[in-house]
Amino acid sequence: MRCRRKLLEVHLMKRAFVSFILAIVFTFSTAYGQSVKLTLPNKDNSVRFLVIGDTGTGSEQQQELANIMLRYRQVFPFEFVLMMGDNLYGSEKAVDYKKKFENVYKPLLDQKIKFYASLGNHDESNERFYEFFNMEGQEYYHFKKGDVSFYALNSNYMDKKQVDWLNDKLATDTAPWKIAFFHHPPYSSGSAHGSDTKLREIIEPIFLKYGVNVVFTGHEHFYERIKPQKGIYYFISGASGKLREGNVKQGSPLTAKAFDRDMSFMLLEINGDQMYFQVVSRTNETVDSGVVVHHEPPKSTKSTK
Amino acid sequence: MKRTAMTWNISFPNQDMGTQTDKLLGIQIAFSSDVKTTLITLLLSVGLVATAQTQTTATLSPADKQTADAFEKRVKDYAKLRESVEEQMPKLSKDAKPEEIETHKKQFQERVRAARAGAKHGEIFTPDAQALIRRIIKDEFKGRERTEFRDTVLKEAETKAVPLKVNYPYPEAGELLEMPATLLLRLPQLPKQVRYRFVGHNFLLVDRENGLIVDYMTNALP
Repeated sequence: MRCRRKLLEVHLMKRAFVSFILAIVFTFSTAYGQSVKLTLPNKDNSVRFLVIGDTGTGSEQQQELANIMLRYRQVFPFEFVLMMGDNLYGSEKAVDYKKKFENVYKPLLDQKIKFYASLGNHDESNERFYEFFNMEGQEYYHFKKGDVSFYALNSNYMDKKQVDWLNDKLATDTAPWKIAFFHHPPYSSGSAHGSDTKLREIIEPIFLKYGVNVVFTGHEHFYERIKPQKGIYYFISGASGKLREGNVKQGSPLTAKAFDRDMSFMLLEINGDQMYFQVVSRTNETVDSGVVVHHEPPKSTKSTK
Repeated sequence: MKRTAMTWNISFPNQDMGTQTDKLLGIQIAFSSDVKTTLITLLLSVGLVATAQTQTTATLSPADKQTADAFEKRVKDYAKLRESVEEQMPKLSKDAKPEEIETHKKQFQERVRAARAGAKHGEIFTPDAQALIRRIIKDEFKGRERTEFRDTVLKEAETKAVPLKVNYPYPEAGELLEMPATLLLRLPQLPKQVRYRFVGHNFLLVDRENGLIVDYMTNALP
């Protein structure tokens, strides 16, 4: 009798243990896997990256959005992140670099994800020396990933030296995809700031002359996809650390799609002649997605890094 | 509009596609069948490029050129001084730790402040340089642009804590308000180490690395 009771106890304990393990597995998969809804094709040899902007608050909300990025990383192995500036709001002591950047994105940094920063109106020039911003000591710089040429610009101070550099660099660039990213948006439906027409007057002719295809910016604390302007696709992604709720002008002729109800970031995938994008909110809602098609076939689709 | 080998398009689920003219790039034009649209777009593209080139070559009278040259020389003299100070310090690497950046800036500030202990307001922004710069700024912002720019500088910018003192640091938490690109191309050119900045009605020269206010002029805002 005692032996049968013992066997029953062991059996019940086994069942409880299995249930416990199953519960853990279910919770984990719900939180970190199944709830992520990727709309990107996630093809082999794609250039995969994120676009974030106006991040540097160190706030709980910035952290929550970073947690969503991490979830997507598990299903969409992006290699790097473009930062649209305002990387550190307020003071820029060593402790601020940690609180407003390193601590927030530590899991991504641990996975060797590279962050490429541009400077905003709240960023000191000295950020260009910071190891995790990969700016090589320059306020404006260029790098390539596969068939994609990236230009990080300093829109806060677009002087003659930078204009000359951009002209010279683009003149010899044969990459089929040329992407520029910087802080201030040449086109915007923001009520607080709006389009930066003085900047646009200088850089748009250069972009048109040398065939820049896509431009990412921040500054406005919301997401906006601008209707193509003279063949160039402009995206604003400036709500990855701050939000200016309800700031997009309703009925703006510039807006193709906008989202100003919560914080957001962009997932990008370039493969051959297509650039896919997906915009995700802090509540893990996909608020925009689509594909930009480049009809000139690229020479190759190999990823170099 | 017929698409060609060089055209671009975009597709979005349930989205407005924008206008056909929005999708044009200058390079497409030669292949397009719509000659009228082609010519207009081509002329616009050429015009935009020409405008940008004109902006970079603002012409000054001989007297103004002399004033601008003298101003640029004074700024270069400052740049030489601070370079000689920085050369004696440990070099900041391109992959520095936050602590190294903070320490470097602090030490750099202290050493340049000591080297320029006697620096006075107006030594670089001399009266003739101030007059020239005020004129250029005033000419750059007219009508609605002027009102909007004043609003940005006076109402929106987070620069209230910036001290108006030569050889004092620009506060880290102070916003570095964007310098309008078209204005930068018209103003006397600065060496890379020094930046123009608007703070309220004032116009500052600020060192981009040590953050010290090199000099300033008042009543600069149009």
